Order: sequence, then structure tokens, then C-alpha cells
Amino acid sequence: MRLAIVLAALPVALILHREADSIGPLVIVAALTAVTAVMPGSAGPALLIGYAAFAMAFGDGHPLRLGVLIMIPALHLVHLTSALAAVVPVKTKIEAASLKAPARRFAIVQAISFAVAGFAAIVPSGPDIGLVELLGLGALTVVIMVFALRI
Amino acid sequence: MSRADKIREAFAGSHGAHWHSTDAYSRAVWLGAGLVAAGMFLHQVELVLFGVPLVLSVLITNKPKGTPTVSVRPVPRGEGAGVVHTVAHVDGADAELAVVKLPGGPKVVPVHSPDLPVEIRRDAWGPGVDVRLDHLFAGPDGMHVYGPIVGTEHVRTILPPVEHHPAGPLPPRPAGLVGIHRSPRAGDSTELRDIRAFQPGDRLKRIDWRVTTRTGTVHVRERHAEADAEIVLALDTRTDLSAKVAEWSSPHHGATTRPGGSLDRAVRRAASMAAGYLRQGDRVALMDLSRPQLNVRSGVGRRHLMRIRTQLVVCVQAAGWASRVALRKLPHGSVVVLLSPFLDDEIAELAVQTRKHGHVVLAINTLPLPLEPDEETPWGEVAAELIAAEHRLRLRRMAEHGVAVTTEC
Repeated sequence: MRLAIVLAALPVALILHREADSIGPLVIVAALTAVTAVMPGSAGPALLIGYAAFAMAFGDGHPLRLGVLIMIPALHLVHLTSALAAVVPVKTKIEAASLKAPARRFAIVQAISFAVAGFAAIVPSGPDIGLVELLGLGALTVVIMVFALRI
Repeated sequence: MSRADKIREAFAGSHGAHWHSTDAYSRAVWLGAGLVAAGMFLHQVELVLFGVPLVLSVLITNKPKGTPTVSVRPVPRGEGAGVVHTVAHVDGADAELAVVKLPGGPKVVPVHSPDLPVEIRRDAWGPGVDVRLDHLFAGPDGMHVYGPIVGTEHVRTILPPVEHHPAGPLPPRPAGLVGIHRSPRAGDSTELRDIRAFQPGDRLKRIDWRVTTRTGTVHVRERHAEADAEIVLALDTRTDLSAKVAEWSSPHHGATTRPGGSLDRAVRRAASMAAGYLRQGDRVALMDLSRPQLNVRSGVGRRHLMRIRTQLVVCVQAAGWASRVALRKLPHGSVVVLLSPFLDDEIAELAVQTRKHGHVVLAINTLPLPLEPDEETPWGEVAAELIAAEHRLRLRRMAEHGVAVTTEC
């Protein structure tokens, strides 16, 4: 499962390295990946996801460029593999059947996330979108209430 | 509530037999919501898109309920050493994954999988833990866990093995006229003892007609009686020594005795001798030289063999150094089998005194030979040689006083 963390973090490192001018992001991501792989129950995964997210957000380019679209499942995979690695001891035999349910849930979440990305692509952007933002926040609140409070 | 109690409570809340959230849950909630909120306020749609999967993974999963368990089917009683198979049943309740620490290594299985095969290795005799399945259950995406739980210990006691070997001839016990050993008394066996002149009371069928014809006076054949023997197995449990002198002062972990050590050899030999002599109908008793409260009175039969083997395990469990050794209430005319590494004069003196009291004493040396010196000290070889020389001298002294000594076990 630790190896899965490294494999999930590999595209993150490559995308950040490709978009950056220096080797700095690659070194930071490599260090955070190492911390995450060694201690998946620590703050390492959160720092890795947070750093990559902000680095991509404040990078140059279109908000929905290919690097962002690849980064969405990659960061989710880092989160998921870290979560599972934190409860599974090292050198544990993992039955493939036990990963079926997490894989199915991952696919559902990614489908919804890309639907949100598709919606973001068609929403108009610019300085006068206060009404759209308000509607977005309201919709998010309703979604959270529906799921969290099971209304 | 004091601060220490609060810390203790917070620590206990993060593990144990209840469902509790993990770091992954906190990460998904706080980082997911944080990225979405930051993306909205900073007008960065990428942050929202990175945060959405984390928020969704929290929203589409529930905190599991119920009490998941892992149970092991007990191994039938009477199974001996070797490999034993059983199964573990996982009842996962609302959990999704079960992490079970099997004897072959931990394994992750889905909770609705069939029973897990469990292979138990029993390498040594004595008491021990067969299996203890520590386990942990995880909910969806590992956001909630139940445990880790320390499994129930399945303990067992494996009796010392019995090696079948023929029991040798023994001096009989004077009392009683049953058994298979030749008695000095006259009796009804088939073995000829003497031919003598007829006396009043002799049975007519004992008349030896050939000698009677030749001598002209009536003679009878006298035969030996057959009597049972009384064996006393005397165990010296004060020390457990291997051939490596360097290990003598360090404790051995993982088994009741050192495999191949003096105590292991003594117990195996005692169990085998008890089985051999009990099989031919002799009476066998067990004595712990340093703990007389653990002695087993003499008896016969298969149940008595089980009693002796069980008590051998008890003796080994209670083994440890004692300053005095004693053989108390020895039955008259018994054969004393002394199983000891004979590393001190006290035990040699006891053997000689027992012989002087009229018992037949068989001293079985259980010290593994040759001794391997401690290589970490320059005096190791000299020390081992000195110990071996003293040991040889002790055995020779016992032999000179009429104790039958075996140098190899």
C-alpha cells in the first residue's frame, strides 16, 4: 500500500515539475511523498495534497488545463491510499477483493468531480459573476445538508 | 476531571473496541472543506475541484455501527506437536475491511469473506499460546476504524513426547509376587532357580523325575518368582543448560525449555522411561528433587502415564534454582533413576547417599556434551574444559560408589 502512495504521487510530481521553472516543487513533493509513505497516518498526506493544490491553483495556465484534470484523481488517490495504508501494517497480504469497494467508491467520486469540472467549464467567468458564486455556495450548502443531515 | 484524566481519555478515544474516526477522516473534512472554501474566496476553481473529491468521500460514507468480531474455532484437545489447522470466522458488522494478524503474517480481507484458514505450528512441548488473532476493522476508505483489538489467547499444553524403547531388566521390588521381573524368591515362573530335595509342602507336579531317578531321592524343581519393580524418576529441575556455555546465564525465550537442553532431554527421557516401564506393568513414581510438593506417587496404567507427563510439564514450569535437593519417602527396594546434568556436588552426594541406603540408583547425565566454550572471552575454553573435567570426575566418583552412570542421555 505504501508503494501505491508513491505511484499516486508520481503524476503529481511530474505535473508540478513540468509546470515549474525550477526543481524546487519536485524536491518538495518528493520529500512529502517520502513522509507520507513512511507515516501515512501523519500530516504528510494533507501537506502533500495542500501543497500540490495551491501550487497548481496559483500556476500559470487555464484553470481546467490537462494538468489540473490529471491532478484531480491523483490527489484523491493519494488521500485514499494514505487512508488505507494508515490502517494496514507493513508487509500485509491484501486480498484483491478487499479493494473492490474502495475502487468503486473512487470511481463514483471521480465521476461526480468531473461532472463538477464540466459544469465549471460552462459557467461564465469574469468580474461580474457574484450571482453565480452566490448560487454556487447555496447549492453546495444544500448538497451538504442533504448528505450530512440525511434530509 | 484532571488534565491527566483528560489526556488519558483523549488517548483511549483514538483506539480500542469502538468505532472512531481516523486522520483520513479529519483530512477529508478539513482539507476538503478548506480547499473548496479557499477556492471560492480566492476565485480559484482548481482549489474547488481538488477539494470536491475529499468532501464527497466524506459525504457518501457513513460511520459504521455494530460490534465486529473475529473468532477462532478451537483446536480439538489431544492434538500433539506439529502443524494443526483451524479456521477463523470474521463477523464484520458494518465494517468494510478486516486486518487480521494471522500466524503467517497480517492479512487484509473483506469482512464478508469466507472463514480464514489458520495454520498453527506447535514446535515444542509444554504450555504455550496456540494462536492470538489481533485484529482491526476499517470502515469505508479507512475513515473510521474499530480497534486495534488484542485477540483472545488460545492456550494449550503439549505433553512431553514419548519415544518407544524397550525397558531393560530391573531388580524386582521384594513385596508382591506379580510382574515380569525375576525375583530372588522362589515362585511360579518358568525360569529355573534350583533343584533341591523334596520337602513337606512341595507340590507333586514340581518333582524332577530325571534327577529323582538318578539320585534315588525325590527332588523338586524350584523356580523363580516374578515380581513387579518400583521405579522412581527423580528429576533435577534446578538448571536448564545447553551445550553452549555462553548461554547458561541468559534466559531462553519462546519455549518452556531450551530445545535440546538438559531439562528438555531429562523430561523427554523421563516420559519415555515412564511409558516403557508402565507398559510392562511396573510401578512408576515421579519426584522433583527441589520441589517435593510436585511429586507424583507411584502407580500403574495409562492414566498414570498421562499424570506423569502432565506433572513433568508442571515441574518444568516451576523449574528454578534451589539450594537443597532431597529424595523423600522412597519406597523400599525401589530403583531410582536420577536425571540431572550433575553440575554440583550436592546432586552427586544425593546419588551416593541413596545408593548407600540400599536403593539401586541409575544416574542419567542430561548435560549436552561436548560443551561449546564461550568465544567472547579468552577464558571461555579454559572454563568449559574445567567444567567438563569436574563433571567427569563427579560421574566417576558416583560410579565408584556403586551408582550406575550413563554419560550420554
